[in-house]
Amino acid sequence: MNTYQISSLLMFDLREAFNSLLWVGYSWIYFLFQFFVYGSIISTLVVTVHNYFFYYGTGLVVLSTFNIASWSGRRFVEGAHEGRLRYILSLPIGRGEFFMEQLALGVIVNLIRTLPPVLIVLLLSGLFTPFSFVSTLAVITLLAIGIMGLMVSLSVIAFKSFDIYSAIVAALSALLIRFSTISYPISSMNELYARATLSNPIAYGADLLRRAIGLDNSLLLNASMATSVLVALAVGTIFLGIFFATKFVEGVKSS
Amino acid sequence: MSFAVETYDLTKRYGNFRALDRLNIKIETSRIRVLLGPNGSGKTTFLHLISTVLRPSEGTASVLGYDIVRQQLQVRRLVAIAFQDPRGFWRHKPKHILSFHASMYGVREPERSKIVERTLKEFELWDSKDKKFMDLSGGQAKRLEVAKLFVSPPRLALLDEPTAMVDLDGKRLVWDKIKELSERGSTIIVATNEVREAEYLADKITIFSSGKDVVTDTLSNLKDSVRGGDVVDLEFAEPATSFVVEIIRTIPGTVGIIEVDPRHLRVSVTRSEDWLPIAVKHLQGVRIQSIHITEPSLDDIFMTIVKPRKSVA
Repeated sequence: MNTYQISSLLMFDLREAFNSLLWVGYSWIYFLFQFFVYGSIISTLVVTVHNYFFYYGTGLVVLSTFNIASWSGRRFVEGAHEGRLRYILSLPIGRGEFFMEQLALGVIVNLIRTLPPVLIVLLLSGLFTPFSFVSTLAVITLLAIGIMGLMVSLSVIAFKSFDIYSAIVAALSALLIRFSTISYPISSMNELYARATLSNPIAYGADLLRRAIGLDNSLLLNASMATSVLVALAVGTIFLGIFFATKFVEGVKSS
Repeated sequence: MSFAVETYDLTKRYGNFRALDRLNIKIETSRIRVLLGPNGSGKTTFLHLISTVLRPSEGTASVLGYDIVRQQLQVRRLVAIAFQDPRGFWRHKPKHILSFHASMYGVREPERSKIVERTLKEFELWDSKDKKFMDLSGGQAKRLEVAKLFVSPPRLALLDEPTAMVDLDGKRLVWDKIKELSERGSTIIVATNEVREAEYLADKITIFSSGKDVVTDTLSNLKDSVRGGDVVDLEFAEPATSFVVEIIRTIPGTVGIIEVDPRHLRVSVTRSEDWLPIAVKHLQGVRIQSIHITEPSLDDIFMTIVKPRKSVA
């Protein structure tokens, strides 16, 4: 593996990703606004879930991870059409290594964007311990790898058409977010919704994150099941992404 | 003779369209090969295939001894490409782009910073080193794209229309740098549709049309290959008689004669260097005041070779 080259590419991409810190600050402000204004209002209405305010805040962190994963995929497709991808493909690194670098980029961007929200939830809920902090970050990283791998793999399939990619991601996002436990526990769903949610890895990710933080676990999905699903998602999408990148990725004539 | 690039039925299809059609071409090591052809003739596709940016639909190629399908990474370590339309790094600064490129080919600090500074100065980009890429002019962006090849000179340098959008001074700068790269041992392949660029740079020229290589030769051989391409203007002290015209008509290589005025004949010939000594011998006794030879331009060659094929297609 070309460690030096991959780390150079990662630094180059990070420099671009954080060239404007405005959008990072914006994402934090968005979280604060959503959490404190909307979260506090909605939590007075939801009485069936104990401490819904923090349940909701954790859901926002998962949502943020999902959005960053979508950004990674979109960036990949945009890069193909802007000419960035073909340049990277001409450089002396393997396609699989490039995929892993993209994954690492997404995970780092995700950690930077979700770290303050995670700290706010942990500190305000009084559940901050070194263990809860580390395990929360571990779950977020695992979840990010899984979703990121999925989104970048999807982008590899659809990267010849930005429209196709956008349509697939929009449909998938709608399904994965609605049929999940990001905003509501599985016990509040009817049987049909609950069945769909149980086949959605995001639901397991959201509930595992709540367990890591230390929220009331009576409403959450089984921990070992959730861990298995998340690990399977992460490992599966890594292999899928490397396979697609190695077999199918090539430069696209820039538009 | 060793070859930097050898292709074997190299083909790239997009649906039913063949961007490159069973190309078999050999490019000598340490030379400048110019690929000349109209837009859509397959030049860029060829460069993208041998740099492994694209995968061939059929066939393959050997680049510096490595197969572009099975040994992509080895190929990429030895090849670098300057793309036709440099884009995609909008927020980066020229110094970062060059530094990154050098690092990808293993150039480490502190050497890297020195090389980047020197290269930026050589390409007259030093004053713009801190501008964002999106704020560079088209010519500056293009020079930066070419400059990438100089921070870590590759064994095979591919340049796709390296002076498109570049002003006249800039063109000469880029051409001289390309020649310098060749003198340092790199094999160079330049794709262009600028005839002047081809004339200035090429050791050999390959003319592309409709995804195929039509002809490969040196510029002088290509000029000689144009039947009647050389134009010899003969001015006589006295009006040329029909006898003189008849003598000229019988000289091997004469293709056509036009009477510009009674004392001035314009003769289209093939290979004026062969034709002229014979003409002088045959016209002994005829008082010739001046002889002026005009060789065909690469434009003429290009149009002679490409146009008929296009019209047939």
